[in-house]
Amino acid sequence: MEQKRIWKPWLYCVPALLLILIVIVFPIVYTGYISLTNMNLYHWTDYSFIGLSNYARALFKFDSGFLSALGTTLVWTVLNMVIQIGAGFFIALGLNAPGLRLKRVYKTLLMVPWAVPAYISILLWRVGMFNTEFGILNKFLSLLGLGKVDFLAGNAIAFLSCMALNLWMALPFMISTIDGALQSVDSSLYESATLDGAGFWVRTRFITVPAIRPIIAPAAVMTTFITFKQFDIIYLLTQQRGYMTGATLNTVITYAHQNAFASNNYGLSSAVSMLLFVVIILFSIMTNRSLREDQA
Amino acid sequence: MTRKRKNTARLALLNTAFILLCLVTLVPVLYALSISFSGQGAALSGDLSFLPKDPTLENYRAILFDKPFLLWLKNSLLLSGGTIALSMLCAVPAAYAASRWRFAGRSGMLRALLVLNAFPQVLSMFALFRVLRLTNTLNTHGGLIIIYAGSMCVFAIWNMKGYFDTIPREIEEASKIDGASDLQMILRIVLPLARPAIIVTCVMVLITVWNEYLFATTFLLDSQSYSLAGGLYQLQSNDYSRNWSVFTAASMLASLPLLLIFFKIQKYMVSGLTAGGVKE
Amino acid sequence: MKKVTALLVAMALCLAALAGCAQSKPQDAPPANADQPAAPADTSSDPVTVTVWHDGDEGIMQTIADQVNAQLADDQITVVFEKKTDMPNQLKLYGSDAANAPDMYFYAHDVLGSFVAMDILAPLSDVTDTGILADHLPMTVEAGQIGGKQYLLPVYFETLVFLYNKALWEGDIPGTTEELYDYMVSHTDAAAGTYAVVNQHTNAYNVSPFINGFGGYIIDENAKPGLTDPKTIEAAAYNQKFGALQADGDYNTVTTLFNEGKAAAIIGGPWLVSGIEAAGIDYGIASLSDIKLPNGSGLAPFSGIQGAGVLKVALAEKKDAVAKVLTAMASPEVGVDLAVKSGCAPANNKSYDDPQVAAKEMISVIQKTASTAQPMPNIPEMGSMWGPVESMLTAINKNGADPAQAAADAQAAAEQAIADMQ
Repeated sequence: MEQKRIWKPWLYCVPALLLILIVIVFPIVYTGYISLTNMNLYHWTDYSFIGLSNYARALFKFDSGFLSALGTTLVWTVLNMVIQIGAGFFIALGLNAPGLRLKRVYKTLLMVPWAVPAYISILLWRVGMFNTEFGILNKFLSLLGLGKVDFLAGNAIAFLSCMALNLWMALPFMISTIDGALQSVDSSLYESATLDGAGFWVRTRFITVPAIRPIIAPAAVMTTFITFKQFDIIYLLTQQRGYMTGATLNTVITYAHQNAFASNNYGLSSAVSMLLFVVIILFSIMTNRSLREDQA
Repeated sequence: MTRKRKNTARLALLNTAFILLCLVTLVPVLYALSISFSGQGAALSGDLSFLPKDPTLENYRAILFDKPFLLWLKNSLLLSGGTIALSMLCAVPAAYAASRWRFAGRSGMLRALLVLNAFPQVLSMFALFRVLRLTNTLNTHGGLIIIYAGSMCVFAIWNMKGYFDTIPREIEEASKIDGASDLQMILRIVLPLARPAIIVTCVMVLITVWNEYLFATTFLLDSQSYSLAGGLYQLQSNDYSRNWSVFTAASMLASLPLLLIFFKIQKYMVSGLTAGGVKE
Repeated sequence: MKKVTALLVAMALCLAALAGCAQSKPQDAPPANADQPAAPADTSSDPVTVTVWHDGDEGIMQTIADQVNAQLADDQITVVFEKKTDMPNQLKLYGSDAANAPDMYFYAHDVLGSFVAMDILAPLSDVTDTGILADHLPMTVEAGQIGGKQYLLPVYFETLVFLYNKALWEGDIPGTTEELYDYMVSHTDAAAGTYAVVNQHTNAYNVSPFINGFGGYIIDENAKPGLTDPKTIEAAAYNQKFGALQADGDYNTVTTLFNEGKAAAIIGGPWLVSGIEAAGIDYGIASLSDIKLPNGSGLAPFSGIQGAGVLKVALAEKKDAVAKVLTAMASPEVGVDLAVKSGCAPANNKSYDDPQVAAKEMISVIQKTASTAQPMPNIPEMGSMWGPVESMLTAINKNGADPAQAAADAQAAAEQAIADMQ
């Protein structure tokens, strides 16, 4: 019986761990293996071990350009997360206001961006919203008698444009997660608090937030990683080949992509990937720590 | 009386805010919708208007009948269904175990999963190609389902574990006394109670699969077996100036099934905790 | 015990689901010949399918396939063109995978060097007699060679041309770039969204007429980037004043502006024609060679040679069939069909004997442009150049960067990228 208690939880985890082993762990190990070889265009199939020399070269990719990309990534992640959680929370609270009859309609409409495939959203925004000739934003500006604005040209404005799109695409998930979490708050708590004379803000601060925090924390952590890793939005909006807009905005992933992956040197780019992975792990440890302090 | 009036005013304000918010959210979609009903030539230009120029259904006809849209739709449904089934089969027991039992290595495992998930998956393309080739599952939906399920598994475990944590144990202990097995208990009690989290997780998996195009177009060789996102990507990846209106029609059609699902599932989003008989 | 059983059932279900899915494609044969159920084609009566991957216009590929299949009907050989988005990258994965790789590919010649470096292509001489190229234009044949070996069978070629809307353009097409610029200044109203000439003015391919015309270069045959060459910088700086009058310059913006009658002219290639015709625009075509730069030489665009290469993995079982496909593709009839149906300039010189081909305006203009055009470099290092050149042009045209400084940055980035390849 005692033994059973030890292995039973692991037995429950086996299918999931097996799947993760194949789809996530193996590729990381394989990338590590390739990073020790000279696999490139000239040794596509006949590559051989060359030790750590790729790492020696990869370190040079982590230069001042990388540091500034890291800074951009951190600002990007923090801003996006703060706005997402804040806006998501208040929108979800609003949706749960008693007496709001059209709740289901509003909620479905707010979920619409979620239903649009991501790259289609990006294309829609690039052409339909931001384009200088055809974009709605510029048509709107000219309606107001203002001049054309290239929303993707400068770094600052491109950052804001990318962020607007990211929020548009990511908020539905936050809203529905927080909405789901709000459902779990025991309504009797509110009743007694209201009887005690607590107002809306007090109830929110002392009942709602503490109650939903553990439920949304995992979703928030996962979203933080997704935001940190975000590649498509910035790449497809500003630096896809043939569509460079002039912004030189880089996150760590787009920076690595630009500097290490364009050369088809798989050994070198694998080494960069592994080092990047280390950076992300450090970042995750930081996030973890801040989460725990939050809870304390 | 005043309280009632105050409430009405508050609701009116809230409704206005939500209507505005929905409008702002929908601008890009309304734009696409209007283009999708526009005739050729009116595609990219036109004035600031959400009414289609020379209204026509031609674009929808073109995408539905000239392209294997329905086949892609079927593939998307198959891939999503398979991925949801596989990822939930794997993730629910793991999330339950991580939530219910404090076993050696538990927190280490949870943290390791999170870190592993941080590895950018774009970089895994080559290795995944190897896996599929070794297992002879290149060019099969099964291979793709394994990859999708594996990439969503960590998210699913974490997301559901958080919710499971909030379900009081006493409920389970009561049913254990009634002689229910673990599986029965998970199916009959835990899953219904965790319904919102399960649904959000399933929807997230669904959306990921529905939207994914890179793996779909790389690991499937026959465009007949593509998913919707893959098929549309192939259709318009570079040159959409020529049939932007057909493309927007296709995007609208591709989004519609998800929208219907969102609308349908909302009534199930009410938690078992508040709806069920937990509070005795 | 019950719990264990339950769990086992769950796992079994899980595995069954996997197995069930995996069976969706019958794959009993070992991977090496999974796509080849028929015996090796020594008996020519067995039907053979030759797969060709491409990332181009499906109409053009269909034209080629129809003609080739008609010629090979008696041999029971069928060519199937399959569109693969981002084909060069797909071939990096599948190129050496015998089970799933295509037998041939069809693409422009500039990716040839990479494929040859990866050692996934077979020289044409391994498959068939290269005498089938005897009638081809020398420029197109040379573009398909790496290290003296012929890897690409040229089928048609293209250059940028000057396309104009006859209803909008006033007067003749200017004979010099300075006159063209004056015309643009007086006929462009960016605020109203109307333009005289549009071009993808930050795209290396579309700026090549200036760079080559000034005597600059992007990369030489020794893989040395030439972005800091004074002539390249001069060309980029000269291009900037045109770019300022050419809207955003991304492909879809400029194409749409022209197709909707908001731009009177566009610098583009034959691939734009079907869209222009669908938009109902009465267009004229002029050769860029006829527009002279201040130094007296004509604009000199890159030429792209579109053709087919053979994958090594196809040789084991389909060598004979591939040889026949190559021979059919090299025939003048394919060129004639392409010219008549899709307006492509054939690589086979004999195709031009057909009066229908000679009558095509687009083809005669491209042929004329070929006199100043330069084939794109086909060395592997060219693949690392597009990004840096675009960054340089973007910095100059959109961010007002100093051309010399932008060139120095791009040159350093390009040199680094090339060094990273090894």
